[in-house]
Amino acid sequence: MNGTLRAMLRLFAVQGTWNYERMLGVGMGYAAEPLLEDLKTVDPVRHGEAVVRSAEFFNCNPNLAGLALGATARAEYEAVPGSQIVRLRTALCSPLGAMGDELFWAGLVPGLVGAALVAVVLGAGWWAIAGFLLAYNGIRLWTSYWSLRTGMASGMKVGSAINASWLPWAIERVGPAAAFTVGAAVPVVAAWYLKGFGWSVGLGAAAVAMAGVALTRWFGPTLTTVRFALAAMIFLLVLRRVNP
Amino acid sequence: MMDFSLPVLIALLLWGTLVGLDLVSVPQGMIARPLVAGSVAGWLVGDIEAGLRIGVVLELFALDVLPVGAVRYPDYGPATVVAVALGADALGANTPWAERLGFSVALGLVLAVAGEWSLQVVRRWNARAIQRRAAALAAGESRAIRKLQYGGLLRDGLRGFTLTFLGMVIASAMKEMLHLDRQLAVALTLVAIGSALAAAVNGAFRSSGRTARLKWLAAGVGVGIILAVVA
Repeated sequence: MNGTLRAMLRLFAVQGTWNYERMLGVGMGYAAEPLLEDLKTVDPVRHGEAVVRSAEFFNCNPNLAGLALGATARAEYEAVPGSQIVRLRTALCSPLGAMGDELFWAGLVPGLVGAALVAVVLGAGWWAIAGFLLAYNGIRLWTSYWSLRTGMASGMKVGSAINASWLPWAIERVGPAAAFTVGAAVPVVAAWYLKGFGWSVGLGAAAVAMAGVALTRWFGPTLTTVRFALAAMIFLLVLRRVNP
Repeated sequence: MMDFSLPVLIALLLWGTLVGLDLVSVPQGMIARPLVAGSVAGWLVGDIEAGLRIGVVLELFALDVLPVGAVRYPDYGPATVVAVALGADALGANTPWAERLGFSVALGLVLAVAGEWSLQVVRRWNARAIQRRAAALAAGESRAIRKLQYGGLLRDGLRGFTLTFLGMVIASAMKEMLHLDRQLAVALTLVAIGSALAAAVNGAFRSSGRTARLKWLAAGVGVGIILAVVA
């Protein structure tokens, strides 16, 4: 197995040592090891320094970490001064984090989940779940491969390569698609659950939903929907005990 | 104790550990999503409907999570596995799902919050392990990086296993104590469904903001209503 493939596989565990001090740092160092192997024979001193740099603080969306990994690995082979490589890593944190989060966590994942929920409710069953997993992991696998190859091909010019790539285009389109599928999933799922209950019960569930949206938006992060749900359930249990 | 055979219990523990690992550490292949975790757990215990019903409700809650930066969020994976086990076993397959869902989701939510807390514990342990090997890292020892990485994965795997195991113990205890009347059970189910819908709506609003996405969200709701009426 060549170094690039090993690095790509290791990127799937890039958050394995996630912590509040170095964040993805150690995971990046782990993924960088196969890429830096050849440097050991060419320039052992530089190799040692490169390993230290590779495991320092770093944070971004894990699915785009390959761009930073490939770019810094190439820069190490091109004997770019260490301070410049550190600056490149630091500079890449925010854009790769923002772009990756928009593309994957706010776009692709809710978009595919919304579509899968609609499909499950409409009777697709396992096909919907398999389709969701295949679509997500196919896109993610290809993105990881592309990220690492692009990073390695562009080195210190990785910023321009990202700008000229498909990423900004995809981010612009995946968000609306996610909003659409999640929007479609909510009434479909609600009808699936409430179908057999009748109007009064349906209205009760709708009232809980509206109260949940209103209260959690009013109180902000102190009252999450999970806390709201648990508080409402405890209230019900207490009410039942007081008034059997 | 829950009425599953030993192989099924082991499979549930293994599945809970895997989905616990998937959330953050490896491979982030989305098997930790409640829809997937719940369906597979339902298949393992021989009650796919319970897996889907409970998985979909918890999935709606998970849509309210945006795991960006260092934000804290519940871990729904092992929680869903245990909730499905409780829903399928404790209240019996002959009980209608409307009477099983509420209690199972309640346990799932409590475990998801416990999972959130356990993630913070693992992250602090990871930081301590890094501090212990700071000298080796500063010397550029690849072996130290590998050991830290494997240690982090092991800690997260143990977290998923412990969460699932303790959840199963709690579920077994709940099974012994559960004496729900039908009315209360259905009321809990409706609160679970209503809150889950609120979570999904909140998540959609937050992602959409006041941008053009809001129009797409409205269009989606329109199509969803048509589908709900037709289907």
